[in-house]
Amino acid sequence: MAADRDRPAKAAAEPLAFAQDRLTFLLALVPYVLDAGRVTVAEAAAHFQVSEKQIRDAVSLIAVSGVPGETTQYQHGDLFDISWDAFDEHDEIVITHRVALDDSPRFSAREAAALIAGLQYLQALPENVDQGVYSSLMDKLARGASESPSQVAIASSDSTGSLAEVRDALARGVRLEFDYLSSRGSAERREVDPLRIDSDDENWYLRAWDHLRQAVRTFRLDRMTGVTVTDRPVDEEHGDLPLGDSLFQAGDDDLVVTVDVDPDAVALLGEFMAGVDTRRLEPVGDRVRARIRVAHLNGLTRLAAARPSAVTVVDPPEARAAVVDWASRALARYDG
Amino acid sequence: MPSENRAVPPVPVEERLFSLVLALLATESGLTKNEILSTVQGYRQRFEVHGDNASLERQFERDKDDIRELGVPLETLEAPGDPGNNQSLRYRIPRAAYELPADISFSPEEITLLNLAAMAWREGSLSRESRRALLKLRSIGADTTEPVLGYAPRIRTRDAAFGPLSDALARGLTATFLYLKPGSAAARLRTVRPLALVQHQGRWHLKAFDQGVGEPRTFLLSRISGAVKLGRQPLELAPGDYAAEALAELDALWEANVAEIEVVPGMDAAVRLSRRRGATLSTDGVISLHFTDAALLADELAGFGPEVLVRSPEHLVEAVKARLRLAVDAHSDGSGGDSDGS
Repeated sequence: MAADRDRPAKAAAEPLAFAQDRLTFLLALVPYVLDAGRVTVAEAAAHFQVSEKQIRDAVSLIAVSGVPGETTQYQHGDLFDISWDAFDEHDEIVITHRVALDDSPRFSAREAAALIAGLQYLQALPENVDQGVYSSLMDKLARGASESPSQVAIASSDSTGSLAEVRDALARGVRLEFDYLSSRGSAERREVDPLRIDSDDENWYLRAWDHLRQAVRTFRLDRMTGVTVTDRPVDEEHGDLPLGDSLFQAGDDDLVVTVDVDPDAVALLGEFMAGVDTRRLEPVGDRVRARIRVAHLNGLTRLAAARPSAVTVVDPPEARAAVVDWASRALARYDG
Repeated sequence: MPSENRAVPPVPVEERLFSLVLALLATESGLTKNEILSTVQGYRQRFEVHGDNASLERQFERDKDDIRELGVPLETLEAPGDPGNNQSLRYRIPRAAYELPADISFSPEEITLLNLAAMAWREGSLSRESRRALLKLRSIGADTTEPVLGYAPRIRTRDAAFGPLSDALARGLTATFLYLKPGSAAARLRTVRPLALVQHQGRWHLKAFDQGVGEPRTFLLSRISGAVKLGRQPLELAPGDYAAEALAELDALWEANVAEIEVVPGMDAAVRLSRRRGATLSTDGVISLHFTDAALLADELAGFGPEVLVRSPEHLVEAVKARLRLAVDAHSDGSGGDSDGS
């Protein structure tokens, strides 16, 4: 079923690494269980997208927690209590005695700000969501914060290219056709099974099964033209293809290029640095040296021409020559 | 340290913090520091009735900061008859300010959007904040219908300065950093009071009150070099919608600046530049493009190499040519200089 494939990568049930986050979880879990009355460990784990062990550990801690009370001795009535039978025998959570805590906590200024800025970013999505929904949501988040949200904002971008068509094909499980200019500069008509839409700030990408190449490829939406949503269904067998979080994977047949980079500009290299430990780069003068893998020289050549004061290609000689050729040809246009 | 302390099995940090929140929520009149340290789970085990509790007190100070950072309104009350005396200060968490207002609820459609909004930060500096916000959202019990969206949107904060600056912003602290203005030879040290962090055209900007010039300024995060140092004392700030102001200013700048660029039809530059917001393509293959920052646009146009010929404004043309010449020089071997481009 196409629907299963299209699900975005979910935040995996990663353990909560920080005590602050584990405290937040405890403060969130109690009102949820109180509200539900009775809930299984599995349901709670699915709801909070954490592991069942995390739920059990949290419940065990809540069950022995409470307030010092009048005696300051944490007497029985000063503690939470749960139905141990339900918990031990049926894996169910029932709070039978509550202390101090009833309702969900407010958002912090930064938490509200993160969600509000995220919503601003999403406003460009072609989801037929009424713009009023966004503003009402942002208003609720601001009211639900303990202090006014930090001033973090993202200008809504409207240069999302063919996002609406791509989104449509993905939702309906049909193939997509478009002319695509590869970064090598050649244009081709492609026919693909759309798998997932990724974005990276201003840039939108489609990962799709490319029928021409018989492989998963990543396409920039702003390089697609002549986009047609076909009525041919996608092949079911590509539904289970694993899609990592990284848009571009370095291949074995890639070219290894040595570059010197201004330490403040290492972030410029972005996806080029996939697989490189940016904290352990060899210092060379006031630069750092990195060995990166590229499928072809085109992207790196453009970067070196764009930011010559920050990035220099050191090796191999043909990579350096490509930069000289590219920049010289550009300069020659101004002489004509 | 008395040896008996070592025998006490340590109470997990979250248990101590949880117990502190419960104790302070349960009290109307507040608890003194001494009462907290001597009775609350996690502190009481380490409390010395007649001894020195300095390290435990420092622990309590850190815990207060950690709890407040989560949006828990931990209050300090001065004793009416004894103002200024730290020992008689009372601490509490007022329930109304702690709890999410009862009338706030979210529809499944809203939860879907909030999940996506939080997910967009999955590798940014605000990823922990987003995850905590999601835990709190789920606490309300709102179930998502898990609609199939097929999106994995992502907001990047690749600029190393984002983390410390958002911290300074949230805590009202000053920030000091080296800033390289385009066109200047060397970076200059700036001390500012952050007002807002905004992303415009995919780039993060800081709007801040520059203490050196006594006026607000907008800084591009990618031009901050090295470490950002934060001040110690929070500063009061006049309320205002600084983020909206900063975005409006950047938009006005964008509106006012127009570049004319000749493109080669069908090439990467032509396809991508012509699809930018507000871009127009004339019949003779010239794109008119709005921009906010000439240096950034020059970088990008130099990268397009021979696919573009910048016609105006003149300073943009010169900036692009300067980058191309530098690229040729930096990549030409030997001293002979085999570049004939300029």
